[in-house]
Amino acid sequence: MSAPTSPLRRLVYRCAQRCPAWLLVLLVIVLAAANGHAQSHAPVIEWRQAEVSRLSEAETADWSTARTVSLPDEWADSQPGRGGTAFYRLRFEAPLGRDAGALYGLYVERACSVLQVWLNGQRVHASGRQDEPVSRNCHQPQLVALPSALFKPSGNELVLAVRGHALQQVSSRLRAGGLSALEFGLYDVMAAHHAKRVVFAIRLPEVMSGTLALMGSFMFVMGWFNRKQSYLAYFGALMVGWALLLARLWATDLPLDNRSTELLLAALMGFVTLAAVQFLLRYANERLRWINILLPLQCVLLPISLLLAGPDRLYTASGLWFALLAAEVTMAATHYLARAHRQKSRQLWLMATLLTVVGVALTIEFTAQVAQLDSRIGYLAQLVPPLVYLALGLRLVQQYGRAYQSAEQSRAELEVRIREATAQIERNFAQLAELKVEQVTERERKRIAADLHDDLGAKLLTIVHTSESERISTLAREALEEMRLSVRGLTGKPVRLSDALGDWRAEVVSRLTQSGVQGEWSAPPDEETQQTLSSRAYVQTTRILREAVSNVIKHSGASQCTVRCALTAEGDFLLTIQDNGKGIPMELDGRLDKGHGMASMKGRAKQLQGQCLVESGPGYGTVIRLTLPLQQHVSGP
Amino acid sequence: MNNILLLEDLPEIRAWLKSLVLQVFPNARITECSRVQDALQQVQNSRFDLGLIDLGLPDGSGTDVVAKLRDVQPDAQSVVVTIHDDDEHLFPALQAGAYGYILKEQSRELITEQLQRISQGEPPLSPSIARKVIKYFANMAKPQANAMPEVSLTERESEVLLRVAKGFTLPEIGVQLGLSRHTIADYVKQIYRKLNVSSRAEAALEAQRLGLFRR
Repeated sequence: MSAPTSPLRRLVYRCAQRCPAWLLVLLVIVLAAANGHAQSHAPVIEWRQAEVSRLSEAETADWSTARTVSLPDEWADSQPGRGGTAFYRLRFEAPLGRDAGALYGLYVERACSVLQVWLNGQRVHASGRQDEPVSRNCHQPQLVALPSALFKPSGNELVLAVRGHALQQVSSRLRAGGLSALEFGLYDVMAAHHAKRVVFAIRLPEVMSGTLALMGSFMFVMGWFNRKQSYLAYFGALMVGWALLLARLWATDLPLDNRSTELLLAALMGFVTLAAVQFLLRYANERLRWINILLPLQCVLLPISLLLAGPDRLYTASGLWFALLAAEVTMAATHYLARAHRQKSRQLWLMATLLTVVGVALTIEFTAQVAQLDSRIGYLAQLVPPLVYLALGLRLVQQYGRAYQSAEQSRAELEVRIREATAQIERNFAQLAELKVEQVTERERKRIAADLHDDLGAKLLTIVHTSESERISTLAREALEEMRLSVRGLTGKPVRLSDALGDWRAEVVSRLTQSGVQGEWSAPPDEETQQTLSSRAYVQTTRILREAVSNVIKHSGASQCTVRCALTAEGDFLLTIQDNGKGIPMELDGRLDKGHGMASMKGRAKQLQGQCLVESGPGYGTVIRLTLPLQQHVSGP
Repeated sequence: MNNILLLEDLPEIRAWLKSLVLQVFPNARITECSRVQDALQQVQNSRFDLGLIDLGLPDGSGTDVVAKLRDVQPDAQSVVVTIHDDDEHLFPALQAGAYGYILKEQSRELITEQLQRISQGEPPLSPSIARKVIKYFANMAKPQANAMPEVSLTERESEVLLRVAKGFTLPEIGVQLGLSRHTIADYVKQIYRKLNVSSRAEAALEAQRLGLFRR
């Protein structure tokens, strides 16, 4: 399942990483296409002069006091401190055409805030509410249809009434009253022109608003539930704030009067600043208490101070505030970049680029207002920050996803490690318990051995040396030797075969010599007998050998005894005891005499998974062959 | 062999051993003890030529008496008389200075013969004890061996030990090496002596080391 998704995911990641670049390139292409198209073929007349009659409250224009002004007419310059309504009158000859049925269009790039148009006394256009709350159409390019039926052959009169606000009553120069230059031409041509401008001035900001709001809320929620990634929440807030700010471009009919709207917009700037500064600081892993207090305080102070400043000083007051906010954001950005540089963060160049782009775009937007640059530059500058936010947002989400993924991974690893550690502990515990059991067993064996020696040994010894009967003495001595061997089997450590052979040789040869039997011993060299016998195998073999030699000494009447030890190719140990005595007498049923300990020798061999064969015949002596499978009795090399 | 110390806790066996000793050394004056403390006192107070010392006693180990006798009366011979034939019990006693050992359950004739041999300077040596001695000298710290050449084994002594470990009897080894029975016995005695000297040196070094640490 995961195989096909991972390349896809990688592709998405890679795309996300280059997102800002991609979006910018896309934007430039779109703009270039739009501009290229702007040079239209059909004739377009541009009107750059009009008579103006400025009114405050009156209903109709008084053309007797009218003056001629050049368009665009920015009220901030031409009638400072005054809002209200201004009537503009243009006289023009009937348009060029013999074509009486043609529809003409008037393109008004900017008429702030509300526009009404009369052609030869007939009202042909009204863009919104004239009374408070006045519609906010400052950012809206407008198209007025002029039917040719209304045209007179000559002396046509076009009157435009613009209702607007004085500069001091708004927080941006773009929303101060004014009328741009007018363009007149065939309706189709003007409509196409208008449509293109509307896309950039209205539609794209709308789309951006929606996208920013959606993504911003998403990131805000994400950051809200992950307090460690609180910068996500602030960035989400920044995006939502910016989405609302963008609404100033496309939201025309608000149920609020101009002053409230402007106050709200200014307050929104405070909020956006808070979000931006906090995002930059949190993203740099810094939490400053005083910042946490001051920024919200500023958000409250800003609208209050604007309220106190009064409606006619709004522009100046908000201008001061905006300068302060811009300084704050710049400082935060600089701080972030310095810190990222110090920490050699991989985000440094991306963030530096994005912040610079936003900074440049905002500067251009501001310059465009003051210096009255081409409106298209303003449109572009308006669109760049949201795009950058989107790109950065994607990047942050991607980082978050990756961090989440690696956290999941380390959690899984941790789980595995814990499981391993648990298993290890359990194993250790089991080993410890085993060791403990072994220790206890060992101690117990030693105790039993000591008891046997001290009690049983002492008693047997007393019998050995105090019994009147030689037979009882011998029996007790044998019992003592048996006991000693048993104890050895109980407590003894594994014996190397070469050492065992040494012990056996010493015992066999000295016993035979003492009894006057000529003994002969042969065994493989040390190098071939490095295996280790368990103490049980050692003890049992010792017993068998001892019994066999006893038989030779006591019963056989032999003069010679040969003991041969050998190792077979299969890894068996062979022990052959041969004498030249009179042999073992047969019982009636054909079995060998049990009195000579043959049965116990065979039983012992069987215990060791070996066998003990006895060949004997009158006059032929006796041969005892013991075969032991060594593999089962060795312990270790 | 006029003054003999007999340390044995079982009265019957002690009586039996006493009669046996008197058979070998008719003129001997035998001091009988049944406890380690009594024996230590006797060693302090009286002179002995030979000590027959049991290992497992109710109030301690006969090894202490062997060591004490070696310290106080270096000329006296200690022989361990025991029912333990394993090197775990015997080796410490040999290190402490015993010149041989006798297994108590053996027949009167055998013990008599062994006693005579030991008193004549022919101590017994079993293969397992020989292996233990070889291992002991092989593991001995090098600097110590260099510092005291008199406690390291000669080539001949090592040769004898190796052959004993392989199960050859002392007379057999004598024949193999072309040496007399007495010479072989001397080697064995030297081995016992060096084992004792070396063990004591080791103990002294250990004490010195601890002392240095304490200072």
